[in-house]
Amino acid sequence: MKKNLFLKIFFSYLVIITVSFFVLDLLIKDEIKKVLISKVEAELKAYVALVDLQSLSEVSAQLNRISQISNSRVTLIDASGSVLADSEKEVKDLDNHLHRPEVQESRVKGYGRSVRFSNSLNVDMLYIAAPVKRDNKIMGYIRLARPLQDVKDFIEKVYQSIFVTIVILAIISLLTALFISYRLAAPIRLMEKVTRKLRQGQQASAILLHTSDETRKLADNINYLVEELKNQIRLANEEKSKLMTAITSINEGVLILNEEEKIEFISPAINNILNQKYDNIFGKTLMEALRNLELLDLYKKFKETRSAVSGEVTLGDADPVITKVSISPFHGANESEKAMVVFHDITRLRKLEMIRTDFVANVTHEIRTPLTAIIGYLETIKSGKVKNTEDINKFVSIMLNQAQRLNRLVEDLMTISKIELGEMSFKHEDIDLSEVIGGVIPLLERKAQEKKIKIINGMTQRMKTIRGDKDRLMQIFVNILDNAVKFTQENGEVTINASETKGGVIVDITDTGTGIPKEEIQRLGERFYRVDKTRSRDLGGTGLGLSIVKHLMVAHGGRMEIKSALGRGTTVSLFFPYFQG
Amino acid sequence: MEERRHTSSHYEKELQEIKNDLIYMGTLTEKSIKMAMESLTERDSALAQKVISADDEIDRCDAQLEEKCIRILALRQPTAIDLRFITTAIKITGHLERIGDMAVNIAEKAIQLNEEPKLKPYIDLPRMSGMVIEMIRNSLDSFINENLELAEKVRQQEQIVDDLNEQIFRELLTFMLNDSKTIQRAIYIMQVSKNLERIADHSKGIADMVTYMVTGESVRHQEQSAD
Repeated sequence: MKKNLFLKIFFSYLVIITVSFFVLDLLIKDEIKKVLISKVEAELKAYVALVDLQSLSEVSAQLNRISQISNSRVTLIDASGSVLADSEKEVKDLDNHLHRPEVQESRVKGYGRSVRFSNSLNVDMLYIAAPVKRDNKIMGYIRLARPLQDVKDFIEKVYQSIFVTIVILAIISLLTALFISYRLAAPIRLMEKVTRKLRQGQQASAILLHTSDETRKLADNINYLVEELKNQIRLANEEKSKLMTAITSINEGVLILNEEEKIEFISPAINNILNQKYDNIFGKTLMEALRNLELLDLYKKFKETRSAVSGEVTLGDADPVITKVSISPFHGANESEKAMVVFHDITRLRKLEMIRTDFVANVTHEIRTPLTAIIGYLETIKSGKVKNTEDINKFVSIMLNQAQRLNRLVEDLMTISKIELGEMSFKHEDIDLSEVIGGVIPLLERKAQEKKIKIINGMTQRMKTIRGDKDRLMQIFVNILDNAVKFTQENGEVTINASETKGGVIVDITDTGTGIPKEEIQRLGERFYRVDKTRSRDLGGTGLGLSIVKHLMVAHGGRMEIKSALGRGTTVSLFFPYFQG
Repeated sequence: MEERRHTSSHYEKELQEIKNDLIYMGTLTEKSIKMAMESLTERDSALAQKVISADDEIDRCDAQLEEKCIRILALRQPTAIDLRFITTAIKITGHLERIGDMAVNIAEKAIQLNEEPKLKPYIDLPRMSGMVIEMIRNSLDSFINENLELAEKVRQQEQIVDDLNEQIFRELLTFMLNDSKTIQRAIYIMQVSKNLERIADHSKGIADMVTYMVTGESVRHQEQSAD
């Protein structure tokens, strides 16, 4: 960089110097020569006038004398060109001089001159010739010749000094170039360094310059751009992190498909929704990753329209997850067509919807069954076909039974809705659970005896008290024990045991009944949910018992757990916490 | 196949398309089996009918895939892993097509069985079909992910399905010996079981092809030669 700049400056100086030298040479050299030669010429001209040819006898001496004082060679030529006398050479060695340019010129003009290079002397020679006239008739010519050694010397001297000047100028320009290039390059070098750092993605400080020329403005601009760039990057990063936080913190799972339809981004929520049902899905297509026909149909629809589509997709085989999936187009860099797939888990929603519709259907069904019986018997009595009072009494007692069942149902429903609405008032007393159990068992004794079921109470000793509402606690145990007796075959056993654990009491009620299938256990406690639909209703249940227990347990701050083995029996564990503070 | 890159992106696309089609077809057959078994256990003949009509789509996929594979063979003349991929694809589509047919067989038997009272609660059959469905899924997953471990798992599962088939056979035999009225139903159930067993064989065939595709070594018929 620096070297380049230096060379550029230096060479431009050299070019200027060289050109000016040539111009100098062209303009001045000839001019000087001309002036010098004309000076010599004038001198020689004066000498020519000195020659007096009147006295021919003295010609030779005269020529020699003139030659001496004029420092030139003097030649006398006759009209035909033959040399008559010469100051330096023997006459007989010289050829005819008539056709020498200066002689020719003087014959015509009366005066002639010529500059010729003399090979013998290796120097330019100036010749001047003048005719010798007598009675206006040319008798001969006198010619003077002088080597232009002085002129040559002088010019050489001039050239020498020009050369020295050039060398000095070259050195000066070298130094100047060095200096300028250094001064000029320093800020540029600095800017280059800063921009290179930026290009490599490093932090760079602002450029500080102490000059005030264009480089300063450039540096200012660069500083401004750097600052602006930093701001833009910061803003972009901020936007990105905002977006990422949003995407990662929402419950919806987000996938981004690149232009090759492969997954290039997975939000963490996806794992919750897919519940680790699938392998690593990164870099795969939707079909490769999730292999779902509903999703494929949705994606095909999206590809046809390239506009946002949404639909319901059930993912997974066992324990499926119902999701609402929306696919929207999304433009990446370079106008690449990407797609964003958003999964919204609506399994719970669907389940709740199902429970609600089931509930309505169940309630109507539960109410209709006793009503149908009551209406049927009433119609029979009304028709008057049954006269027998015994039969009528039997009918009435059945109707009463059904009406009581209806009443129970309504009461149970009211209990649940009261608990759910938080309208039920609870008393808070210190209660010994063994006392509650002791009070509940006699209520079920008769029913148990009918089926010859033994109720074994392992809670005869006094226990640490818990806080609760005695009537509600009794209701809990009545419901559980009632179930236990109901679903246990004749000659079975129902065992009640209690154990104290950290922070509370666990009461286990174990029966030797039919048991509950594993997959049904988690649905127990749903309103009207029955494991064995037909049998349970025959046994007079409303389908709300466990649901009430569940709600009451929650109200007491406790928990209910059910373990069961088909054909072997069921254990219901109730946990009651001790009163804290 | 992410690591495989071809100079022609169009070629790349064609291979991906074949993979996509295979996955689609596999998913269809998987669903067919599931529905066929559900129609049996839930006694839902309408569902069985659906399985039968859905087989047309599977057959169409089979024909289309085969044609695409042959076109690539002819036009692109693939070598090495690409050649193995294409040949594997052709074989897999054949297996899947057969599995689809067997789903139809099961559905047909289900329709007939549903017309008569239940012979006995289905216990081993759902277990067997669960295992078979898992095998198909695993074999397809092993193909998609080029996962040799899964392919190996499929080969092991095939043995379990064989055993279950034997067990069902023996159990049904006792039914038939006790009461000749059960023979027809028992034979239908046996046929279902046999079909499931053959689906397991085909799944294993897919797994073997995947192993061949990835490693270039054939693992088929090794058991036989070892016997």
